[in-house]
Amino acid sequence: MGEGTTASRAADAVAAVAEVWDWTAANLDDPIGPKLLEHAQLSFTSVLLGLLIALPLGLAGARWRPLYPPMLTGVNVLYAVPSLALFFLLLPYTGFSPWTAIIPLALYTLAILVPNVVDGLNQVPDHVRQAAAAMGFGPLRRLLQVELPIALPVIVAGLRVASVATISMVSVASLVGLGGLGQLILTHGFKRNFPAPVIVGIILSVALAFLADAVLVALQRWLTPWARGRESGATTTRNRHIARAAVARSRKATT
Amino acid sequence: MITFEGAGKRYPDGTVAVDQLDLKIPSGRTTVLVGSSGSGKTTALRMINRMVEPTQGTVAIDGTDVRSRDPVLLRRSIGYVIQQAGLFPHRTAVDNIATVPLLLGWPKARARARARELMELVGLEPGQGRRYPHQLSGGQQQRVGVARALAADPPILLMDEPFSAVDPLVRAGLQDELLRLQAELHKTIVFVTHDIDEAVKLGDTIAVLRPGGRLAQVDTPERLLAEPVDEFVAGFIGYDRGVRRLSFFPARDLPLRSDIVLSAETTAEQARSVAAASGQPWLFVVDKDRRPIGWIGSAGLAGEEGPRPLGTMGVIGYGHGFTVSTDSLRAALDAAVLSPAGGAVGVDTDGTVIGVVTQSDLGAAIWPLGDAGGVLAATSDNG
Ligand SMILES: Nc1ncnc2c1ncn2[C@@H]1O[C@H](COP(=O)(O)OP(=O)(O)OP(=O)(O)O)[C@@H](O)[C@H]1O
Ligand SMILES: [Mg+2]
Repeated sequence: MGEGTTASRAADAVAAVAEVWDWTAANLDDPIGPKLLEHAQLSFTSVLLGLLIALPLGLAGARWRPLYPPMLTGVNVLYAVPSLALFFLLLPYTGFSPWTAIIPLALYTLAILVPNVVDGLNQVPDHVRQAAAAMGFGPLRRLLQVELPIALPVIVAGLRVASVATISMVSVASLVGLGGLGQLILTHGFKRNFPAPVIVGIILSVALAFLADAVLVALQRWLTPWARGRESGATTTRNRHIARAAVARSRKATT
Repeated sequence: MITFEGAGKRYPDGTVAVDQLDLKIPSGRTTVLVGSSGSGKTTALRMINRMVEPTQGTVAIDGTDVRSRDPVLLRRSIGYVIQQAGLFPHRTAVDNIATVPLLLGWPKARARARARELMELVGLEPGQGRRYPHQLSGGQQQRVGVARALAADPPILLMDEPFSAVDPLVRAGLQDELLRLQAELHKTIVFVTHDIDEAVKLGDTIAVLRPGGRLAQVDTPERLLAEPVDEFVAGFIGYDRGVRRLSFFPARDLPLRSDIVLSAETTAEQARSVAAASGQPWLFVVDKDRRPIGWIGSAGLAGEEGPRPLGTMGVIGYGHGFTVSTDSLRAALDAAVLSPAGGAVGVDTDGTVIGVVTQSDLGAAIWPLGDAGGVLAATSDNG
């Protein structure tokens, strides 16, 4: 273990950083920029589509209780299907369009979003629901103006986990020619045995996940000023959801 | 006028919550529904705003069957207050109160202005308007609940155990507030409670429901306490109904004696002669402003030296006094029970002593009332 080894290791590290830096500078306009944008778009669209499906499903599950257990089994089973298999299954129908990535990713978010929508709605206190009815809210108005706003913190907690999970999963779609930053990793890096694009892909992917999470936190604080500093059941429910969904995500990341 | 005609509710599981209810609830008055848990009070109340549909009979408001009205519109015209207040956690106090006006399509500014007006009416500070419900105390939340129910000025107010979740002191304050509001607003109030004292305090009429949702008795509070129709009602209103009933009789008619009220400067000798002349075992001592000091017994006076003033001797505490002009016989009796001398001290609203009621005079004033109750009960049996 001489000084020479340490010195040469340091030199290697400096060289590696320099290489990553040079590669980034040379490829910023193409492919890094467009791939980052594609990654963000794929993730955003998938989570949005997932939310649009999860809301009516969750409403139904909260209103008609017997419906919920089979529904939950359904979305969990979907979640268990390997993503690669789903991509290939869809290829004949959607080809190499973004939908081949978006549809499976959106379906995966359901396993996180549907339970959160249901629990968020169930957590609206009964006396609040009854007071709303007694004051002359019709069913739709009650849903939009009372129940959904109160369920919002739990739903947003689900969205946070779903978006981070989706951002990490988009890369897998690179195996079928999609996948945003995943392509940097696979096509530009892995296949050419060249580490710089892999490192850049990872860093940007993580940064995107952080950004998405920060945006959602800000959105929630803005939309639910009333929940701020509120030590109540809602907070613990929310934390429980984050924990549960995080477990689900780590499981999924391996498939 | 709200009319229940043969109204009944049988839930799908077979529970009969309300059975053959015939009840007229007069406009502009407070009608209280009392009864043990599960006797159908909430169910009956909710038939009025169609949150529960009767399975037999009808409920009508001013002659119109409520089932002919759109439930959503009907409910906007009826205020509703529940136990936990049912406030919207995601709206500020002001926005909670403005709920129904906004549903009715008022412009936002006008609805808010109205809400602030109501906050003042129910005794909330303007600064509390921007708070969310979890930032308010239980009593304040109930006030917001009452304000919210009143916001669109509905002629009818339904209140389901609105004050039962707050401590007794706050509850008494809210009850007083409701009495004050009602004296001003003259709403048709239907008020549900378990608490017979609350019912007696607030109700112009009390309807007692028995388990199984049958009406047991409808009467004024005074008559209900004087002549419960049967064992069930008597048991429900409690063994101390006799004492409760005294709250309907004013204390101002009690014979007040001022001859046995002596100032602190009076000497023992003078006091002994007053005691002898009046034949009373207890004398009451006041200071130079006629504020109460305490009782002194003639037995204790006997051993004192003649010139010694009463103010320098030990007196016995008097518990509390009763305000002659505003209190009831119940307060006077309570004052007497708490005093070791057995008499009650009658004070003016400024706290100065007007006179004292002796034990025997108080007994003489109360005794015939119990008898009157018996007489009334006998006549009502015939009618
Ligand atoms: N939705 C329902 N389905 C079946 N039974 C019901 C329903 N709501 C109430 N009941 C039953 O009807 C009866 C009367 O209930 P209700 O709530 O009217 O009583 P209450 O007098 O208000 O009682 P409490 O004083 O406890 O509030 C009870 O036996 C109750 O269990
Ligand atoms: Mg009830």
